[in-house]
Amino acid sequence: MKRRVGVGAIHKQKLEQEKYKDKGSSIQENQLEQLSQHLNTFRDKLESFASEYKNDIKKNAQFRRHFQEMCASIGVDPLASRKGFWSMLGMGDFYYELSVQIVEVCLATNYKNGGLISLDELRTRLIRSRGKSQQHQEITNEDLLAAAKKLKVFGNGFSIIPIRRGQFLVQSVPGELSLDHSQVLQQVADKNQAYISVSILENELNWTSERAQRALDFMVQEGYAWFDSQSPVEHLYWFPSLFTECMNADKDSS
Amino acid sequence: MSEVQWPWQYNFPPFFTLQPNEETRKKQLEAWRDLILEYVKKTKTGIVDVQEADTMPLFCNAAISRKLSPEGIQAVLEMLHQKGNAEPVDKTKVRWYIYWHTLSEWADIMYQHAQENGLVNSVCTLYELINTPDKEFTGLNEEIMIKILERLQKDEKAELILSDDRSGSGVKFF
Repeated sequence: MKRRVGVGAIHKQKLEQEKYKDKGSSIQENQLEQLSQHLNTFRDKLESFASEYKNDIKKNAQFRRHFQEMCASIGVDPLASRKGFWSMLGMGDFYYELSVQIVEVCLATNYKNGGLISLDELRTRLIRSRGKSQQHQEITNEDLLAAAKKLKVFGNGFSIIPIRRGQFLVQSVPGELSLDHSQVLQQVADKNQAYISVSILENELNWTSERAQRALDFMVQEGYAWFDSQSPVEHLYWFPSLFTECMNADKDSS
Repeated sequence: MSEVQWPWQYNFPPFFTLQPNEETRKKQLEAWRDLILEYVKKTKTGIVDVQEADTMPLFCNAAISRKLSPEGIQAVLEMLHQKGNAEPVDKTKVRWYIYWHTLSEWADIMYQHAQENGLVNSVCTLYELINTPDKEFTGLNEEIMIKILERLQKDEKAELILSDDRSGSGVKFF
């Protein structure tokens, strides 16, 4: 092939490139249009589904969970906005109400647990404070997690710490917990006891004693843990939020 | 005498170690205050002796092998003192009066009792007062009863007639 040189050839190359580009973007546009059409159809279907089963979603905890899961798997958050068709579901309101109740329970128990509460205790107290009707009782841990996640918009004053499979602590005071601190809580929960010590952390997590001590001092300093110097073996650190009698205690009897 | 209602903290081992965190210690001392006042009320305890305190179930939970240290007891008593719920018997601060009602509350209660039962302007003995059946002050420590009446005397609502034998002492309400 004869080598083409000169200004003309460069111009021609440029023109070809532009044509390719044009074609490319028109294909892209086409796909986008198709996709948005699909999305619209899907939205319509989801809307009509949601409105058809509105009452079930509100009243039936299991149904609500399935619906949430379905939405999550396709990347839709029915709680993300109160505007639009989701608001007619009243779904948002349901969770907003829950969020407020969660905050109330956290504040009411702060005096004894220092701002850490297990999801189970939270649920028991919350259900007790809601009405007696069946609809008010069927609150699952998933509902609480969904509602509690919404509270993150208020900054780091509210977070959820997974401690064991299916077990969570809700933290309701400002201050981020580091990975080390969360691991301390996980260890406490794993032992099914309310205390931990430097040597337990050394053995279970291969930590140095300095690292363990630092993490535990932090827990005491933040008011999550109580210090106990009277164990015959070594100093212990106790968490009221995981101490059964504390979890079951009511204000008037304490 | 009814049973003491032990709060959850009583079974929480670190409750018996004075807490290093200031905020937590505040909660701890408040819980101790509630517990001590509940305890002395139910057991009609008038005086706590710091040196004997570790034999009292109040400060010693044998079930979990924990007891409050003398410093801890001192801290709790000082806090009660601030709130008007305790007072050292003398300067050594070894023995302490504990009041589940503050003295001024007690004075009101006694004076009201005198008014409601026609004791005003008549003399009754300390023994009679302390052994009035089914009152909150039934079985109250004598020394504390005298302190209450002294307070009423200061307000000119009563006059104490003390004798060497304390139970023989009397009081006249005005």
